[in-house]
Amino acid sequence: MSWIREGELNLIEKLSANILKAGPMPKHVAFIMDGNRRYARKRHVERQEGHTQGFDKLAETLRWCLNLSIHEVTVYAFSIENFKRSKDEVDGLMELAKQKFIRLLQEQENLEKHGVCIRVLGDLTLLPLDLQQHIARAVVATRTHNKCFLNVCFAYTSRHEIANAVREMAWGVEQGLIKSSDVSEALLGHCLYSSNSPNPDLLIRTSGEVRLSDFLLWQTSHSCLVFQSVLWPEYSFWNLCDAILQYQLNHRPLQKARDQHREEQALQQHEADRACVADLLQHHGNGKPLDAQRRQEALLNYTASREERVQDFLGALQHKRDSFLTDLTSQAALA
Amino acid sequence: MVHVYEFMWRVLHVLLHIHRTFITLFRIRLRNWNGQLWSRALAALLVPIALSFPKQKKLVPAPGKRVGRRYRWGADGKSLEKLPDHIGLLIAEEEPRYTDIANLVVWCMAVGISYISVYDNHGVFRRNNSRLMEEILKQQQELLGLEGSKQHSVEFLSNGTDKQDHQVLSCQSVVKVLSPDDGKLRIVQAAQELCRAVEQMEKTAKDINVTVLDSLLRESKTTPDPDLVLKFGPVESTLGFLPWHIRLTEFISLPSHVDVSYEDLFSALQHYASCEQRLGK
Repeated sequence: MSWIREGELNLIEKLSANILKAGPMPKHVAFIMDGNRRYARKRHVERQEGHTQGFDKLAETLRWCLNLSIHEVTVYAFSIENFKRSKDEVDGLMELAKQKFIRLLQEQENLEKHGVCIRVLGDLTLLPLDLQQHIARAVVATRTHNKCFLNVCFAYTSRHEIANAVREMAWGVEQGLIKSSDVSEALLGHCLYSSNSPNPDLLIRTSGEVRLSDFLLWQTSHSCLVFQSVLWPEYSFWNLCDAILQYQLNHRPLQKARDQHREEQALQQHEADRACVADLLQHHGNGKPLDAQRRQEALLNYTASREERVQDFLGALQHKRDSFLTDLTSQAALA
Repeated sequence: MVHVYEFMWRVLHVLLHIHRTFITLFRIRLRNWNGQLWSRALAALLVPIALSFPKQKKLVPAPGKRVGRRYRWGADGKSLEKLPDHIGLLIAEEEPRYTDIANLVVWCMAVGISYISVYDNHGVFRRNNSRLMEEILKQQQELLGLEGSKQHSVEFLSNGTDKQDHQVLSCQSVVKVLSPDDGKLRIVQAAQELCRAVEQMEKTAKDINVTVLDSLLRESKTTPDPDLVLKFGPVESTLGFLPWHIRLTEFISLPSHVDVSYEDLFSALQHYASCEQRLGK
C-alpha cells in the first residue's frame, strides 16, 4: 500500500519494540514533518524530490507506528501559512497531494484489509476543487474503518481551527440548538476538526526547530513534546523509539497534570450550571427561595437538558460536515 | 516472554533515571567550577536529548560592582542579534523558589526584554501574586541597585488592566503573572462573549474569524505574543500555557529554576538569537 509501507521490523527492532511496549505507550502520536527542503539542499536534489522523499518517510513511519501498536497518527502536511511559498512550490505540493490521494483510492482493498480510516483536517475550501473532491472521496470511502486512523492536516492552522470551532458554536446558537451559556471547554473541543480523535499523547517535531508553528495548540496542551534535530526524510526507527522513551519518562507527571485539569474543568462546568440554574430560578420563580433538595433537583434537570441540547447540536454539526463531503463526492462523480 | 520484556524495560528506565541524576549532579558541580568550555561540551555529550548550547561561551568574570554587572547585562542584551520582545518563564516544577524566579525576571529586565510573563500550571504564582511582586522588587534593588532600579522600572499587570500608552522614558518592563485560567478558559470566555453577541443579534456566526478572536484574546493592543518560552523542570510539555498565543513561540528547556544562574539565562537567549523563523515560507 502506497501510504503505509509493507514490511516487518527486523530482529533487533522487534526486540526493542517489545521492551518499549512493556511500559506505557502513546495511543496517538502527532508529527510535524519538518526538514524536507533542507534535506533536498543537503542532497543537492530538487525541492520537489525532498517533499516526495518526505512522503515516503511518512509511509515508513506509519508502518513503524502500527508495529508499535500506535493506532492513531496525525501529521502536519500543509499549513495555511505555506500558501505564501512560491507558486511553483505550492502547485508542486498540491500535485503531489493529488497523486497520493488518487493512488490511495486505487488501493481500496488494502485500506479495507488494514482498516485504515483517513481524515483530513483543515479548511478544504482553500484548496483547488479537484483536490477537494479526491480528498472527499478518500475520507468518505474509509469513514467506517476503525483499526487505525490517519489524520492529515492540510490547509490547516490551529488558530483557524479554534476560530472555526467558535464559529460553529455561534452557528448552533443562531439555529437555536444551543445557548451561549452552553459554551464550555469540552464543547469547544468537540467542535474542532479533530473532534473524533483523542488528544495526542506525543508530539514530535523534526529538523531541530523548537516551536509548534500553529499546530494542534489546543489539543497538545498536556502532551509530551519532543523536538528532534534529525531532518524528516532521514527519520529512523530509533528516532521514534527515542521519542517514545521521552513519552514514557514524562508519562506520570503529565497524567497527573491532565487529571488535575479535568477535575478543574468539571468544577467549572458545575459552577456554571449552578449559576444558570440560580439565574433561571430568579427569573421564573415565584420569589420564594427553594429548599436545598428542590435546588439540587433543578440543577440535575438543568444539567441533563444541557447535555441533551449539546448532543443534538453535535449531531447536527457532524451531519453538516458529512454533507459537505458527500456533496463533493457527488460533484466528482458527475464530473 | 512478556516478563522478560517487562524486566528489561524496568532495567532500561532505571538506567535512564541514573543517567538523569548523574547529569543533574554533574551540572551542579559544573556550576561550582564556573563552567569552562570543555566541561560544558562534555555535559552536552552526556545529555542525549538536551539542546546543545552554542559553542561560543564567555568566561565569567568575578562578580564585580552592581553597576558593572548592570551595564554588562545591558551590553549583553544589545550584543544579541535578536532579543525576544516577550519572554515566558514556565516553571514546571513542584516547589517554586521565589528568589530564583525574581532573579530571572530582573535579569530579563536588565538585558532589555520588555514583557516578561511568569507561569506555573497549578496557579500558585497567581494566588501568591503579591509575594512574587515583593520578591521581584527586592531582587531588583539587590541586583541593580538604587540607580538601576530607577532606570529599569517595572510595571505589574494584573488581569484585565491595560498597559498605559504613555511615553516610555527609561527602559520599562511589564511583568505579568499567568495561570492555566489565562489559557483555555480565557478562549472559552471569549467564545461565550461572541456567542452571546450572536444570541442578541449583534453579530452573526459568519462574522467570527481569527482576527476577531485574536483581538478579544489580546491582553492589550501593545502586548506581543511570547517569542520565547523558557521551560524550567523535567516535564516536556507546555502544561496549558497560553495555547492561543504560542503559535510561533520558541521553546527552550532548562533543567531547573532552582539556583539558576545568569549564564544559564544568557545561553538560552543566545540560542534563541540563532534560530530562524520562516513563517511558513
